[in-house]
Amino acid sequence: MITGSARVEDLLTARPRVAGFGAGPVTLPNAEVLQAMFEMPVSAREAVVPPGLHPTNPALCVMLVWRCPESPWGPFSLAQVRAQTRSGLRPRGFVVGAVCDNPAAADALATDFGFPARPGEVLLRRAYDAAWLEVGASGHTILALEGMDPEPLLPLDVYYSVTLNLAETPRGPRLLQVEPEYAVARAERLRPRLLSFHPEGWGDRHLDPYFAVSASLTNATIVIPRMRFVCRPDVLSFQGTEKAE
Amino acid sequence: MKFGIFFELSVPRPFAGDIEKQVLDHALEQARLADELGFDWVWAVEHHFLEEYSHCSAPELVLTAVAMQTQRIRVGHGAVVCVPEMNHPIRVAERAATLDILSNGRLELGTARSSTWTELGGFGANPDDTKKSWDEYVRALPKLWAPGHTRWQGRSFQMPERSVLPKPLQQPHPPLWVTVTSPGTELDAADRGIGCLGVAAAGYAEQERRTREYHHRIQSCDPVSSVVNDQVTTLNFLYCHEDPKQAAAAGMQMVGMFGVANSHLLWTREAFPTRAYQSLANLAPTGSSGGGNPADPYGIPEGICVGDPKRISEAIRRWESIGVDGINFILNGMEILSQPAVLESLRLFAHEVLPQFRKDAPARAGARA
Repeated sequence: MITGSARVEDLLTARPRVAGFGAGPVTLPNAEVLQAMFEMPVSAREAVVPPGLHPTNPALCVMLVWRCPESPWGPFSLAQVRAQTRSGLRPRGFVVGAVCDNPAAADALATDFGFPARPGEVLLRRAYDAAWLEVGASGHTILALEGMDPEPLLPLDVYYSVTLNLAETPRGPRLLQVEPEYAVARAERLRPRLLSFHPEGWGDRHLDPYFAVSASLTNATIVIPRMRFVCRPDVLSFQGTEKAE
Repeated sequence: MKFGIFFELSVPRPFAGDIEKQVLDHALEQARLADELGFDWVWAVEHHFLEEYSHCSAPELVLTAVAMQTQRIRVGHGAVVCVPEMNHPIRVAERAATLDILSNGRLELGTARSSTWTELGGFGANPDDTKKSWDEYVRALPKLWAPGHTRWQGRSFQMPERSVLPKPLQQPHPPLWVTVTSPGTELDAADRGIGCLGVAAAGYAEQERRTREYHHRIQSCDPVSSVVNDQVTTLNFLYCHEDPKQAAAAGMQMVGMFGVANSHLLWTREAFPTRAYQSLANLAPTGSSGGGNPADPYGIPEGICVGDPKRISEAIRRWESIGVDGINFILNGMEILSQPAVLESLRLFAHEVLPQFRKDAPARAGARA
């Protein structure tokens, strides 16, 4: 089995500190969710994930965007770049980097749930024939993509993996298992095309989403529940999984 | 009850030296022994790019080698991926007929559509279309094998009038099967009058429900050819040892490793949202994902054929009681078991267990007119 080879100490750069695991649930009604998937070369496969996780074959880079008109912190948009993995037997999305356009939301998502959200701009636009995403940080565009030719799907056709956020915690570095529930009301699939991507802007130079796989756009109410489990990032989940409480 | 062995040809890392040759050599030796011992089938999967999990990308060649080295055991494509980007239907018909001749009429032909993005994406296949192309292939193959010339005007392929050669030795053609992973595919099999080649997780209760519905439904099928294959098989593991403790320790290590490798596959639905793949289609047989079984002294999940001959016989009796016609066994995974241990397990099974289920039964082709 292949496992991640990224050094946990390196990954911990710019990761949030979480005081506990008791936050949530948080409800985010009427959100728009864009998910775009690209294959990454084998050279990136192990390099972007910690030793406690198994990368998929092929390596999959997932861009996941929430545009939330309502939240406890006001409207916000959050863009995540994730590497698709397995934690033991389970599909998990390891969040490599994230950008949020609302400082209060960014702070809460970081300190409560471990999202490594840095401030920036997240612009998601939607039309009948296409959708566009542009993410900026520190004055640079770090991601731009378009999704063409929306095709209707059934709500259950779109699959979202559970999130793993690496954070400093009172127990030490941990992968926080955040399990958003998506009540999808409308779903479309799109053909994604990457217009611009800067891996350093997402915190890992190995990221290289070179081959478009799929994209989807949904309307959904998202609920972030209380965490149930956390995992050590340095050992496989069979040994490293702990109850959050 | 029939018994088969089922090759995934999993290869452990590192892929160094002659490890792939070793796995293939072991498989061929297992097939020769299974032939001698009275097993009914040897199946080989078709998978592409699935590092470690399966290096069996050219099953028609593996099965040709098996056919050349055996006398009696039936050889099963388990299964040909019916997606044009991977296998043109005319080539499927040609290869299958040739193998049927070379094996002296011992071919079983499974059909499938692939479950992973790794494979479909690698060949540039559209996941939306695989169920459609599978259905077309299943209708087309009996016609391509029929005597004389035929023509085809379909969605996946078009062919002006041609004689597809050679024709299979078995008449009208080798038995057809479909691999069943997603729930509901057993009904597709029944509607078309083809066999149900189980390759996915199903415990006793679920398998009983599926088998009952399959047998009920196939009574009113619209068969794709003049013969109906009405058999249902399940996939299982086999590690048989006189000492139940040792059987559990070694056998469940093999089962667990297979489950881990299986869970690491990149399922189509996970990467490509589509109505054509409604589940993650986990292929691992029941219990291979761990979790144990508190009712078993060694924690072996229900129905798994790991243990001493007595335990395995009891499990098979239960499978038999719910109407399953055959069980195909994975004998090893990632070479966890040594080859002598695998061969000894086969011998012990054949000596102690197999005769209990053979009151009447030399292998038959499985087709009814």
